[in-house]
Amino acid sequence: MSHDAFHGRLEDDRMVTGSGTYTLDWDFPDTAHAWFVRADRAHAEIVSIDASAALAHPGVIAVLTGADLEAAGFKSLPVITMPLKPDAMKPLMPFRPCLATGKVRLAGEAVACVIAETQRIAMDASELVVVEYNELQPVVDSLDALKPGAPQLHDDVPGNLYWDYEDGDRAGTDALFARAAKIVKHDLYNHRVVGHPMEPRCCTGVYDAAKDQYFLYSPTQGPRMQASMVAKVLDVPTDKVDVVAKDTGGGFGIRSAPYPEYCVTLLASKKLGRPVRWNGTRSEVFLTDNQARDFICHGELALDDKGKFLAMRFFIVANNGAYLAPTGLLAQTRSVTSCITGVYDVPVSHARIQLVATNTAQVSAYRGAGRPIMSMLLECLVERAAIDLNMDVVEIRRKNLIRNDQYPYKLVNGTTYDCGDFEGVLDDALKAADWNGFDKRRAESARRGKLRGRALSTYIESTAAGGIPDDAQLLFEADGTISLKSSSHSHGQGHETSFAQVVAGVLGVPMNIVKLRTGEAGMRVGGGGTGGSRSMVSFGSSYLLGAREVVKKGREFAAKELEASPDDIEFDHGEYSIKGTDRRISLMDLAKKYKGSAGEPHPLNSVGSGKWGMTFPNGAHIAEVEIDAETGVTEIVSYIAVDDIGNVITHALVEGQMQGGLTQGAGQILGEHAIYDRDTGQLLTGSFMDYPMPRAGMVAGLEVLDHPVPTKLNPLGAKGVGEAGCTGALPTLANAIVDALRPVGVTHFDMPATPQRVWQAIQAAKAGNPRALQTYTLEYA
Amino acid sequence: MYAFQYRKAKSVDDAVSALAADADAKVLGGGQSLVAALKLRLAQPSALVDLGTIGDLRYIKVGAAEVTIGAMTTHATVAASPELKKAIPALADLAGDIGDRQVRNMGTCGGSIANNDPAADYPAACQGLVATIITNKRRIAADDFFKGLYETALEAGEIITAVSFPIPKRAAYMKFKNPASRFALVGVFVAETSAGPRVAVTGAGPGVFRVKDMEQALARKFAPESVAAIKVPADDLNSDMHAQADYRAHLITVMAKRAVEKALK
Ligand SMILES: Cc1cc2nc3c(=O)[nH]c(=O)nc-3n(C[C@H](O)[C@H](O)[C@H](O)COP(=O)(O)OP(=O)(O)OC[C@H]3O[C@@H](n4cnc5c(N)ncnc54)[C@H](O)[C@@H]3O)c2cc1C
Repeated sequence: MSHDAFHGRLEDDRMVTGSGTYTLDWDFPDTAHAWFVRADRAHAEIVSIDASAALAHPGVIAVLTGADLEAAGFKSLPVITMPLKPDAMKPLMPFRPCLATGKVRLAGEAVACVIAETQRIAMDASELVVVEYNELQPVVDSLDALKPGAPQLHDDVPGNLYWDYEDGDRAGTDALFARAAKIVKHDLYNHRVVGHPMEPRCCTGVYDAAKDQYFLYSPTQGPRMQASMVAKVLDVPTDKVDVVAKDTGGGFGIRSAPYPEYCVTLLASKKLGRPVRWNGTRSEVFLTDNQARDFICHGELALDDKGKFLAMRFFIVANNGAYLAPTGLLAQTRSVTSCITGVYDVPVSHARIQLVATNTAQVSAYRGAGRPIMSMLLECLVERAAIDLNMDVVEIRRKNLIRNDQYPYKLVNGTTYDCGDFEGVLDDALKAADWNGFDKRRAESARRGKLRGRALSTYIESTAAGGIPDDAQLLFEADGTISLKSSSHSHGQGHETSFAQVVAGVLGVPMNIVKLRTGEAGMRVGGGGTGGSRSMVSFGSSYLLGAREVVKKGREFAAKELEASPDDIEFDHGEYSIKGTDRRISLMDLAKKYKGSAGEPHPLNSVGSGKWGMTFPNGAHIAEVEIDAETGVTEIVSYIAVDDIGNVITHALVEGQMQGGLTQGAGQILGEHAIYDRDTGQLLTGSFMDYPMPRAGMVAGLEVLDHPVPTKLNPLGAKGVGEAGCTGALPTLANAIVDALRPVGVTHFDMPATPQRVWQAIQAAKAGNPRALQTYTLEYA
Repeated sequence: MYAFQYRKAKSVDDAVSALAADADAKVLGGGQSLVAALKLRLAQPSALVDLGTIGDLRYIKVGAAEVTIGAMTTHATVAASPELKKAIPALADLAGDIGDRQVRNMGTCGGSIANNDPAADYPAACQGLVATIITNKRRIAADDFFKGLYETALEAGEIITAVSFPIPKRAAYMKFKNPASRFALVGVFVAETSAGPRVAVTGAGPGVFRVKDMEQALARKFAPESVAAIKVPADDLNSDMHAQADYRAHLITVMAKRAVEKALK
């Protein structure tokens, strides 16, 4: 592996000079423009849609409605499912149309598509489409939706319950709770946020009639994965769809699956015989991109009289929105409970999660996908236990951590941790954060009129899961470069650099001749997309194997060229030589010389492949915050992240991922919040005027330290890093804020810690209500 | 955006006659409020008359007793002016904390005042410094200019050409930012002027307003403790998801106190 000094990413020049190729940078002659008519209310029956005035508007080519899609045989947008225990309830998966039919279930749902010669004409005409509605009462809160008599969204989802999911061992857990010396309970609301890739949803749909082939130009995290889902909607074989992309402007999980509009433009293109382009807006991101979180959580911890954990049980209600997003089952259930008892040695546990339908945007995987839900719940529960039992927050953790001699460590639900050094990670963090010097810092803050708080989290997450082998192709090109092809598509993480580094490291060639080309038309390569922090672990490992295969194949040619036996050939730094002699030839010279016959694939071309298992990145994070009690403003003043993400390929890229993940977590804790009006179902935070995005300087005093414990589950020894920051940041920051507020009497505070909420909590505590900013209370059931 | 005509004004007179000829035409300053409204289809002017090409609306003149700023002077220019930083540092500070770099490079003093967004910063400086708004027709005292929510004393087709700010003895602006928009959730401009102390509040109500109780207290003694116990009634203040009226009322006191502290530094 190459460990050369880091000189910036291969993609950086292109990106910082504005010469990337994002979705709408693709230009096609004769393009028509789509614009969507969206529901202005959250819950209503569609009585009629009258497009006649729009159709009469000069420059309008067509107006499509749900009826046109039905006539074309459109199927539901798909939902990724998972294997179930035989006795488990089957999830209810209602039909999700690309244009509403019969009913609208959330404000902003697309009901018609106007296609015109220009975008402006399409926008003008969309105001002329008259939709008559029969208004229904909306419901946006998941507990409200579960109540008897609540408005019902789908005829085939009685009681608005998509799924009642259970994991772990209920009876065994209850038995331990019955014997416990102490039971600690904690409620929290992990509030809803809207993901914001810089590039909004957008696309150009191109149907090639001669080839009977659909080409979708769109942002993507995995072209083949996305193509397979589009094909399901169009009801055509996967091979009939190409998803084409060069640069994707951010993803975070919400660019992994297709959106309804994408499928509509493909049909429109087929009907009109022209490319059809849709330039989505930020407002549409707010309304109808997949959203995230919105979990009402209740956790209980049973302990013996010495503070040892005996069992845990959780009851969680997840607001999944008006439809199931493609990842809306998996990310909301199994991803939440995969590390059900965290880094702690707890033999038995149980979790129940209810997925609820409401008149809000669909919720999907989003940085961390479920794991931040569990890490936040677990770490806030452990913090609560330390306080209730008057134990030190470090010691309660240290006492219960899984020890290094316990691996492989099997959780109650079958998840098996292969390796780790949880106590070593913890000790590194305590040292880096000067844990014992906190009282001095708190006193110094107090002199400046600030409340200082701090917290520690020891988190773990499961990453890199993949159900199918991930292929990595290495192709020798005529121009002396090596192309890399795989189905994972970078949305900004730096795949071009990372994969080139892995390959160049094995082949001993300069990184800049190794070119990642992932979203090209016609690319057919097996594997999943990027998501779940999996690309380095899985595709990186496949590239490593593929590169080793190249070296092996090259040895045969080198032997021929150098007139020696393959056994006498060594390979080092890009050159083959006869052992103990100075007779040598470089790999790239060999590639030039032995390029095979014209029209045939280059003989050195190789494919690495593997079905890589789950890995378990973990870490100890310590944050310190300062609160201005007079105004309620919270600032992060230091953040120490010590993470075991296995082998680190490039620290700079790891640090970048950690910065981004932590800041995304900080954004949620300090202010991001999607708020729906309870009466009307309208999104109240529908623009950046009301929805605070995190800013670059938000996580001040950040230090990212590596504590690698390489895994043997893949040849790179990597565990994945894309989401770790977010998974760690939510509980760490939440607990630090409550720690700062405790001296002024606040005992419970649900996020986000906006200035007003913090100020209100302080005022309420002064008036005798220490839990005023608690949103929900649940009972384990 | 809806379609509209676009026209470059050659002079203020040229702009005035273009506006007189078309009742649905609108003046375009830096476009930082107007273009955003157009993009969201919240405004549908027939034409935009761009003042951006009129060079003699961009200047900062620092005299012995007052500073005059041309209407098309950008926030960035105001923030960076060494002469202004000496004469009225609080005004340069205020301009330097408007929006972000891109907004400051385009947005203008005149545009901000004409727009009178209830959360804008400039209106607080105008009332706090006893400014005079100069138009193509007349001079209007700041106290008479701002009429609440997006309303001003400007008549149809009237154009702001400059604003004149008397130089105070001392002044400071404290802005408590809306966590999302970064506009003023509550902004308090405090000044000791030749007309006496001034306390002007933006962001908290339907438009900029003065807090007379605080001004009187500061006239007795210009010190933070003079305002620290004065509460503005919450009844007339804005309530929204970012700040209920009681929180805004509280912030007015805190920001006023901090502004006085800052002015004395
Ligand atoms: C992201 C963002 C953040 C912002 N943050 C802040 C902030 O923190 N604080 C703040 O105060 N403002 C903020 N603004 C607004 C900004 O200050 C604008 O510059 C200002 O509101 C309008 O000035 P403009 O020159 O851009 O005017 P325009 O947008 O061009 O015009 C605004 C209105 O004024 C009229 N107008 C313009 N010039 C004149 C004139 N000379 N005479 C008569 N009428 C005129 C126009 O017809 C229009 O009705 C922000 C804007 C954005 C986009």
